[in-house]
Amino acid sequence: MIKYILKRILMVIPVLLGVSIIIFLITRVLAPDPAPVVLGEHATNETMAAWRTEHGLSDPIWLQYVHFIGNAIQGDLGTSYYSHQPVTNEIAARFPATAELAICAIIVAALMGIALGVVAAVRKNKPADHVSMIIALIGVSMPIFWSGILLIILFSGILHILPSNGRVLPMLGPSGGTGFFIIDTIASGNMKALGDVLKHLLLPTLALSLYSMAIITRMTRSSMLDTLSADYTRTARAKGLKERVVNLKHALRNAMLPVSTVIGLQFGSLLGGALLTETVFSWPGIGKYAVDSVLKSDFPVVMGVVLLVAVVFVLMNLIVDIIYAYLDPRIKYGKPEEG
Amino acid sequence: MEENKSAVTFDRRQFVQLLGAATAGVAAFNLVGCTDTGTSGGGSKADTITYAQGADPRALDPAYFDDGESAKVSCNIYEGLYRYGDRDTTVHPALAAELPDITPDGLVYTIALREGVKFHDGTDFDAEAVKASVERQLEPNLDPDMPYATFVFGCEDDGYGVIKVDVVDPLTVQFTLRTPSASFLKNLAMALAAPIVSPAALEAQGGNISDNPCGTGPYKFVSWTKGAHVILEANADYWDKTRAAKTKNLIFQVIPENATRVTALLNGEVDIIDGVDVSMADQIRGGGYTLFAEDGMTINYMAFNTESGVCTDVAVRKAIAKAINVPEMVDVLYGEFATAAISVMPLWMAPFNKNNQPIGYHPEEAAKELDDLGITQLECITYSNPRPYNTKNGQVLAETIQGYLKAVGVEVNITPYDWTTYKSKVQTEAFDFCFYGWTGDNGDPDNFMNLLGDQNWSMNVARFNDDDYRALIKKGLETPEGPDRDAVYLACEQMVIDKQPWLPISHSKNLCGVNPAIHDFFYHPTGDVFMWEVTKDA
Repeated sequence: MIKYILKRILMVIPVLLGVSIIIFLITRVLAPDPAPVVLGEHATNETMAAWRTEHGLSDPIWLQYVHFIGNAIQGDLGTSYYSHQPVTNEIAARFPATAELAICAIIVAALMGIALGVVAAVRKNKPADHVSMIIALIGVSMPIFWSGILLIILFSGILHILPSNGRVLPMLGPSGGTGFFIIDTIASGNMKALGDVLKHLLLPTLALSLYSMAIITRMTRSSMLDTLSADYTRTARAKGLKERVVNLKHALRNAMLPVSTVIGLQFGSLLGGALLTETVFSWPGIGKYAVDSVLKSDFPVVMGVVLLVAVVFVLMNLIVDIIYAYLDPRIKYGKPEEG
Repeated sequence: MEENKSAVTFDRRQFVQLLGAATAGVAAFNLVGCTDTGTSGGGSKADTITYAQGADPRALDPAYFDDGESAKVSCNIYEGLYRYGDRDTTVHPALAAELPDITPDGLVYTIALREGVKFHDGTDFDAEAVKASVERQLEPNLDPDMPYATFVFGCEDDGYGVIKVDVVDPLTVQFTLRTPSASFLKNLAMALAAPIVSPAALEAQGGNISDNPCGTGPYKFVSWTKGAHVILEANADYWDKTRAAKTKNLIFQVIPENATRVTALLNGEVDIIDGVDVSMADQIRGGGYTLFAEDGMTINYMAFNTESGVCTDVAVRKAIAKAINVPEMVDVLYGEFATAAISVMPLWMAPFNKNNQPIGYHPEEAAKELDDLGITQLECITYSNPRPYNTKNGQVLAETIQGYLKAVGVEVNITPYDWTTYKSKVQTEAFDFCFYGWTGDNGDPDNFMNLLGDQNWSMNVARFNDDDYRALIKKGLETPEGPDRDAVYLACEQMVIDKQPWLPISHSKNLCGVNPAIHDFFYHPTGDVFMWEVTKDA
């Protein structure tokens, strides 16, 4: 197992190199010159040339990449063209917001998705199944920017019971700490701020979890249908176990293997920055930051965020594989045994 | 069968419990001190005003930003030697004690400074502070990342601006310019580059005080949560008691989406929003909120390519202009939120000539002249994003004009680009006409009229290369403010009408949504928001 994990970690290196080359080429070769955007309306050709030289953009493209990757390996992702701050600091300041939202969303998505999937499978072709599948269909097909805006219109615009944007009322915001506001407000004992943080989390969490919930629902249903018709489930029923025990202990537990994979990968994508949700809800995370940076041609930031997302995805894949091996003892890694 | 029944009962119960828990959860949030979805951070609302804008500030050090979002925050923290009038762009002393003493050759400005002013860090404001704030933006200290330094203070290559700053005594500073510049005084009132920063803070923070800004303004910096909000608090020791902050806390909140910003206003989460889309004006008014709509400092125009192609012929330019009904188009596209332009400068800006006679709408004449000139097809490039001077975007504008020209027998091929790409294309691409615009910086006529004299084609997209016009622009800069200078710019305006390098289209209004409990809010034509006098009913 350790050998497998090490092998997988080593495989991360070419993946990240590949990602870095692709994103580097997109931002440095295909994208328009950032100088006029960054320097603004008054920039002259001379000032733009000086700026390009200062930021190494006049060097040959291969040399630019060598500099970039050499610094990135040392944890230096460069300086934002726009804010003049180190990219690592800018990302670190925003990542807790994204992580907190992603964790809440995946918890909601997993709980609701598994519950709906189980109900759908157990009540196959009955109204509960149809309702679950309609909910899943809506979740899969409704774009987040649309569902998010609908939620804002309903709960903020019409009912006026939930805030439409941000993480917390600015004057209640916890200072310092981990950047995870739920933890920070609990640690400081500020229950008023905690309530406000949870209230701000509700709509973006709901919007963000919809798609993942739908995927998990469908996967749970499909996996449950397989396990419900498996021999061991029939045996459990034959032994006279209660249906609830059969469904939850025998069928669901065995059905969780593919579901856990989906949850892991969905979590990876949510952690990678929920671009649309963060933009719609003005959530100050890395997703919204990445969108803003693309619009401002702030390429060091774009590259930093994309690399971070790639790392998160690769790590989540690795974790899922390890969990897989833990959950299912039949799975073995390495060379197949010779028979 | 009995087992199955039991399973069904369990599921339903669980479902009902889940629903109950969710409802109770929402109710609980409301009970935990959060029944107020409002702005003001629980507590006395009148103590806090929240202003929502569309983007995070780029920086909070005046040397390092060029964007309106940064300026709106910064102009409440910092002050320059001079400031604009509360409702216009006239210049008044701020940290300077009076208007400058200028030598007859217009090259040396001697400025007496106000006594007893302190920075927010407790250090004294004096001539050394002015020198430090300006000299860091002059060669050889000039950093290419200081986007407005050369505009405000000039540089050697451009042949204008400040050569040196001398400290005459602790309360007197002297600027020496390369060439006379009548707009220099207006530059010193800008929120970009010109404000004076604490030298102690500069030294402590390595020359860029964005993370912990320190000025002399009516508000002090408290915190900046990147991508979310900036919090300021009233400066209790502000030197000018007549202009001291009237509200304790001031929050600038970032809400990028226009629709979300409007919802936040109507939901009571914020008190003032800017960048209101025209299509949402009725929603704001209908919700009982105030729609602020005042003239901005912009020009939205169509530029003919005067360097190459058929539009190098002034007769072609005039014939095309006659085919377009500008007032009708402005009314249809922008309604009450823009004014049809009859020249380059906004209508309120001196020395704008209200008697200007643009070429007017004469479609029959246009059709005949274009036919005589053999013009049947034109190439147009434009931008696809909304801009402050054109909230509809350049493509909509181009398509409207395409319709007018089709009516006189001319086909137009439109190639749209996103704004970033467009800024490069407009300098390199072949076109007959294109669309562009300008948001003024300092309220000086040179800031608008100079666009057609610039030899940088990213500024002068018509590529208008006229020595007589450039001579007028130079003369305007060198002539002290007064009737002689006004005459120069009136001559420039007439030349634009006669030679038609542009077809001026509209001047937009600045739109903001304001909670009716807010008093004395004004969105300055420069795009700054001076919040010291703004209050909110408790």
